[in-house]
Amino acid sequence: MARGVMLMSGGIDSPVAIHYLLRQGQEIVAVHMDNRPFTDDSPLSKVMDHLDLLRERHQQPIPLYLVPHGPTQITLMRNTDRHVGCVLCRRFMWRSAEKIAEREGATFLATGEALGQVASQTLSNMRSATVSVKLPIVRPLIGFDKQEIEAVAKEIGTYEISTRPGLCCQAVPDKPATRSNLVQILREEERIDVDQMIDDCVRKAVIL
Amino acid sequence: MYRRLRLCSNHGAYEAIPEPANPLDLRKVRSVLEREGIAVVDARVMLLAAMETEVTLSRNGRLLFKTRDPDIAERTFERLRSLLGLPAAEEPPRATSGMRSR
Repeated sequence: MARGVMLMSGGIDSPVAIHYLLRQGQEIVAVHMDNRPFTDDSPLSKVMDHLDLLRERHQQPIPLYLVPHGPTQITLMRNTDRHVGCVLCRRFMWRSAEKIAEREGATFLATGEALGQVASQTLSNMRSATVSVKLPIVRPLIGFDKQEIEAVAKEIGTYEISTRPGLCCQAVPDKPATRSNLVQILREEERIDVDQMIDDCVRKAVIL
Repeated sequence: MYRRLRLCSNHGAYEAIPEPANPLDLRKVRSVLEREGIAVVDARVMLLAAMETEVTLSRNGRLLFKTRDPDIAERTFERLRSLLGLPAAEEPPRATSGMRSR
C-alpha cells in the first residue's frame, strides 16, 4: 500500500478522510498547518486528540508534522490581495505538504475537502490551489454531503472532538473569492518569496 | 457604542462589535499600544495585540479576545477602551444581569 500526507485542520472532515484511507491500508503522515496567532491552541489540540483516537482504532502509527503557518499568513496579509487570501493560503499548505511528502517518501497527498462546503472549496479555487503541486491529491470525501460526513465522524468518535469550542481562522477575509483566476493568483505570488517562505516553514516544522 | 461582549460562533473567543461601525486607524492604534509596552503584530488589515489575553483588532472596529473567560475579556476591553478612546459597550439587559448575552 502507498504512503500519503494528509492535511489536518482539527475540523470534522479530515479525521473521517484519514479513517477511510487507513481502513484501506494506506500509511498516513499527518500535517497540521499551525495558524496561530490567527487562531488559538484548540485546532492543534483537536488534531492531536483525533490522531490518538485513529491510531488506537486502526493500530497504526501516524506521525504528525506541526508546521508554523502564522508567519506565512502575516506575509500574505501584508503583501497580497486579501480577496484571494484563502486560495493563496491553500497553495502554501499544499506545497508545504508536498515538501514533507518528499522527505517522508510519500507518493500522494490527501485532504478532507468536499465540494462547496466553505468559500475556498469551489472547483475553480481547488484548481488554483492545487496546480501548485505535482503529487496526486486524494479526496476521499469529495462527493459526501455534510450529514454523511458527520454521521461517520460520530460513528468513529471524532465528531465530539471536532465540535469542541475553538476559534475560527481570523485570517479569512470578509469576502473571500469563490471563483479565483490563476493568472491573478500567480501575479499576487510574485510579490513574495514563495520558495523561501515554504522552505522556512517546513524547516521549522516539528514532528509530534 | 459596542454591542455587549459575546462568545463568537465557535465559542472559542469573545468578540465586541461596534454599532454603528467604528473603523479603527490601525497605524494610530499600533502606536498607542506600543507606547504602552504592548507587543503588537501588524498584519496590515488587522493588529494582534498581546494584552492580558491576545486581542485581534480589525479595521472595521471589531475586537476579538482570545479567551473563554468573560471577566478577562471584559477587563481587556475596558483597558483598550481607555487607551484608544473607544465607545462604551452597551449595558447587559436587566433580565440577564450577571450573564453574557449570546
